[in-house]
Amino acid sequence: MSRFHDLEVTDIRKTTRDAVVVTLRPVNGAADHFDFVQGQYLTFRRDFDGEELRRSYSICSGMDDGVLQVGIKRVEGGAFSAWVNDELQVGEVLQAMPPMGRFHVPLDAAARGHYLGFAAGSGITPVLSIIRTTLRREPHASFTLVYANKGVNTIMFREELEDLKNAYLGRFNVIHVLGTDAQEIDLFTGRLTQGKCAELFRTGWVDVASADTAFICGPEPMMLDIAAALRDAGMADDRIRFELFASVQPGRLKQPPRAARVEATGKGTEITITLDGATRKVSADEGQSLLDTALANDIDAPFACRAGVCSTCRCRVIEGEVEMAVNHALEDYEVEKGYVLSCQSRPLTDRVRIDYDQ
Amino acid sequence: MTDGMSISDYLAQGGRLTSPANVPPRYRAELLRMMATFVDSELAGAAGFADLINAAPGIEERIAAARIVLEKTVHAQRVLRQMGEFGADTARYYTHHPWTARDKPGADAAPGRSEHDMRLSVFNYPLQGWTDAVVMNLLMGRAVVVQLGELAQVSYQPLAETFRGILPVETRHAELALEGVERLLQTEGIEAVQAAVTLWWPRVAASFGMDASDKFARVKAMGLRHTPNADLRAAWERETTGILAALGLKAA
Repeated sequence: MSRFHDLEVTDIRKTTRDAVVVTLRPVNGAADHFDFVQGQYLTFRRDFDGEELRRSYSICSGMDDGVLQVGIKRVEGGAFSAWVNDELQVGEVLQAMPPMGRFHVPLDAAARGHYLGFAAGSGITPVLSIIRTTLRREPHASFTLVYANKGVNTIMFREELEDLKNAYLGRFNVIHVLGTDAQEIDLFTGRLTQGKCAELFRTGWVDVASADTAFICGPEPMMLDIAAALRDAGMADDRIRFELFASVQPGRLKQPPRAARVEATGKGTEITITLDGATRKVSADEGQSLLDTALANDIDAPFACRAGVCSTCRCRVIEGEVEMAVNHALEDYEVEKGYVLSCQSRPLTDRVRIDYDQ
Repeated sequence: MTDGMSISDYLAQGGRLTSPANVPPRYRAELLRMMATFVDSELAGAAGFADLINAAPGIEERIAAARIVLEKTVHAQRVLRQMGEFGADTARYYTHHPWTARDKPGADAAPGRSEHDMRLSVFNYPLQGWTDAVVMNLLMGRAVVVQLGELAQVSYQPLAETFRGILPVETRHAELALEGVERLLQTEGIEAVQAAVTLWWPRVAASFGMDASDKFARVKAMGLRHTPNADLRAAWERETTGILAALGLKAA
């Protein structure tokens, strides 16, 4: 299980009105844990009103930049991103897990690769890390970035991208596609749809035929559109790399409704089980686990190890109380939210309601 | 750029998920189940074959067997690490179960899934000697190639990449088994080999799972599966029947 480490904030800089770049330095012995590969992300945790929130943000610095930086854009209603944008101060210490993610391909200094990047909004962060690292480590590589934003003033890292163009003349090209701001070339205005991608490919602005790999990071419909256009242009599926937008992470979970505690009377337990949208009420034999009760009633509940180590059988207790005998997989914050390992949990109350869909 | 699209629509249209932070609960469960099935099968397969290394009739065969055991264990570790990213305790996962345990000879009418691990049922049958093990490795090796081809398309991108990396190595294992069978045909004769083929053929065929069902429709909608079990099994039967025919052997 990954552990959290301390990172001190050494710099906070606004890159647009509602996005910041946060520079971090591992402290308290964490230095060894934060070597990263381009395109990876960090998962942070912080307590908000007694509830732990976890959010992942992509690293935007390159492997050779000598710093660890993440870009964080304010998400509407997002507690963590609002806090970072409004309140976080230099000198504070954040907690994060070591870098994770596989949004990268191996680099080879001798290669003459051509890479494509497609990003929308804050989807630029991992792509920027990839661009910085690739152009530096593959002296013969070239990179074409198609970057979609609403307007000029919402472009994250606009200056950094210009600097990269100047530093790597002829090897880095960026096409800004702007939703509302008019541009000299009509093709660069509007939404980045499958049709627009096809036009960019057909007119030669983006050369798909010579590209080795395409990196896409943005909202789901846009990623599907771009991937479809790339496939139509002949790119193989395994050369198209997706990274889901950070904002798609599940929102803040509501506290489960706490029913009045009903002590078990020993008359057998009624368990209500929701799985794949269907809900059934079944009775449990004494001492039977939630999982075994479900399976005994032909409910196809998920499980694998039955030993409390793999977490396949995780479900959420909505009503009643259960006792979990062994837990080697769920973390405290999950348990606090009512998650249990159903293979290890037995009812303590006469009525228990569990949900595998949450 | 704030188009609302549900994760289920995104997946149904071929979208990819990329981190434990953005998988929905049911997707998470089915993905973990899929990973556990692979890990348990590799660990059980390697554990069973490990005992047979000492039965290898020559140094080539011994090296091949040891290599297969090593590499299958490495493959299990790679996928287990990804389970760890979802919270699984990887050290305990390895020690929670005796991977060498198999059914007793003779008690093998139709073993189902064991209570405590997710290995494919074919890995519950005991291996009885070198010929048995090599023939099983050829038939199951070809099945693994077909099954991994399917798994490599899984919508969880990090796992798809891992499976794509594993596929050529597993393909090589099937080739090593083929070389082993060719040698056995010279040393043991066709009847002994054919008997093992007849024994293992239906067991390996069963490893493709049931032909049903709404379950497949559900995992397909999540992009976790693409081709029905029956089609995968048919592909294996076609291909492997051809390989056997070239050796003068018959599929059961």
